Amino acid sequence: MIELQSITKSYTTGSQSLQVLKGVDMQVSAGELVAIMGSSGSGKSTLLNILGLLDAYDGGLYHLDGKDMAGLSERRAAELRREMLGFVFQSFNLIPFKSAAENVALPLYYQKVPRKERARRSHALLERVGLLEWADHLPSQMSGGQKQRVAIARALAASPRVILADEPTGALDSATSEDVMALLKELNGEGMTMVVVTHEAEIAAACGRTIRLRDGLVESQGHV
Amino acid sequence: MAWLNPKAMFDRDAWLEVAHNVLAHPLRTTLTGVSVALGIFILVVMQGLGYGLQHGVEGQFADDAVNSISVEGGRTQIAYRGNQSNRPVRLTNEDLPGIASQADTIPAFSRRIRLWGAEIVWENPEGENKGGSFGVRGVDPAHIELEPSVLLSGRYINERDVSDSRKVAVVGPNIVRDLFGKTDPIGAFIRINAVLFQVVGTFEDPGSRWENRVAYIPFSTAQQLYRTEGWVDQIFYSTGDMETEATVAQSGRMLSWLKDVKAVHPEDSRGVRVDNNNEEYAMYASIFEGIRLFIWGIGLMTLLAGAVGVANILAIGVKERTKEIGVRKALGATNGSIVSLVVMESTVLMLVSGSLGLMLAVGLLSVVAPMADHEYFQNPQVDHRIALFALGVLVLTGLASGLGPALRAVAIRPVEALRDE
Repeated sequence: MIELQSITKSYTTGSQSLQVLKGVDMQVSAGELVAIMGSSGSGKSTLLNILGLLDAYDGGLYHLDGKDMAGLSERRAAELRREMLGFVFQSFNLIPFKSAAENVALPLYYQKVPRKERARRSHALLERVGLLEWADHLPSQMSGGQKQRVAIARALAASPRVILADEPTGALDSATSEDVMALLKELNGEGMTMVVVTHEAEIAAACGRTIRLRDGLVESQGHV
Repeated sequence: MAWLNPKAMFDRDAWLEVAHNVLAHPLRTTLTGVSVALGIFILVVMQGLGYGLQHGVEGQFADDAVNSISVEGGRTQIAYRGNQSNRPVRLTNEDLPGIASQADTIPAFSRRIRLWGAEIVWENPEGENKGGSFGVRGVDPAHIELEPSVLLSGRYINERDVSDSRKVAVVGPNIVRDLFGKTDPIGAFIRINAVLFQVVGTFEDPGSRWENRVAYIPFSTAQQLYRTEGWVDQIFYSTGDMETEATVAQSGRMLSWLKDVKAVHPEDSRGVRVDNNNEEYAMYASIFEGIRLFIWGIGLMTLLAGAVGVANILAIGVKERTKEIGVRKALGATNGSIVSLVVMESTVLMLVSGSLGLMLAVGLLSVVAPMADHEYFQNPQVDHRIALFALGVLVLTGLASGLGPALRAVAIRPVEALRDE
């Protein structure tokens, strides 16, 4: 599903250039639940953003579902994000002035799904994550765990091929973290490919495989 | 350009999203809306008041034709050529050819005799005497253009009336009301200071309340009845379509000639008077032009302040939304759809609140207009072109001030936008 060869990425701040990724090779097969671990500064967030087509890479090859991602136009990248990828963020990133159902329906809005169908599907997804009765609440009225489940429902809304999660439990207490991981594992069990960036060993342990990053290089791939 | 997304303009969903976003930020919406509405409101109201002032000043000149000059005698203040000061100066029949020769062309010319308080009485068919104290003027036929008066019924004083010194009168609306009520006055006989006159016409003067209390009679009749030695109270003539400067030169020549003929010291300003309405009108017109510029200046400044405020609020709004924009991008929004969303939001906001301000201003002026009946302030009105221009400026400001920050916001990689640190 995901195949990276010698991906490089550097950021330039002022006159200083910082090489964050120095040639990353990795594969993720369809249906896998993979953790990417590494200390801060190892490049794991950058890698996830490249995987999520939220950032461009400088060199190397990236194939997503067999297609080359080199030199994508902004419009094409948006289209691929819309159709192939779902995102879960550490700080949930729900839109504060939209209700849970409206947040979940947002990817469908960008897929040009008709309004009634959007409402139907978003309510079904909220039911799936156990939050149907919270559909009309604003994010500010929900707990962290609830917000993250809404965010997961939102990531699922567009029926993506891959879900990319950036520290999905980073802002949650341990009990809630377990709930959220259980939900992610359950979705994986239904065949969803997932990449989870984390620095928590317990979370990584809950995943099928762990890719360790160190100083912009893959230290270990785990058992492919 | 990718961000120009014409499809979004006709997309009901896109508009619903816009409406939702605008309504979901009541504070921002109110702040922006109020500054836009206020900007338009102040501009339009100021313009309306400016027009009221203009109409008022113009109304002051509606009394006499703006291209007229009047000549009359007065009382000297300076002893001159063996005459004492405080000597009354009279115009007489003998002065008329000289006065006529001083004016280059005279499209309309009238002599005038003025009586301030005359007893006018009509005995009605029931034998009751209806009457009151009114003004009487002896005039020539051209006087109707010089005053100017509007003939309501019958006819005005004509040449035969003057040459035959007929005892006929053209009466104003107040006389008709007080003496005749609903009866048709044409043909009726009235007594003016006990002398019998036949009413031949009625008129009104929209520019002067005083003239509406006056009866016009032939000049010759008035002179024979009320003046001795061929005295003429006033000469009144028009300058046609002469330029103001030419009329000023003409009235200046007229004045110095008349002073010489009447032995009035050149420095004496009360001995004889030549009033040039052209000159006064031009002076008032220039004062008014100044007021109008001033009002424009204030209006534009208000509009500018409003526009800056709006731009500021919108820019802050977009900056606040960097994260939201990042999320939308991650969920598959194109840059174009985000920019058009932001721009549509600001434009809708501008249009709605601008129209609101406009309606308030128009409403206020239409309520105030009937009440405004001061000499120098009449009939304030809205200039629709200015209102639309102001609305256009604010909408463009909204577009520009939404567009800039939105373009910058979408240029940020979502990675950065979504990062917590």
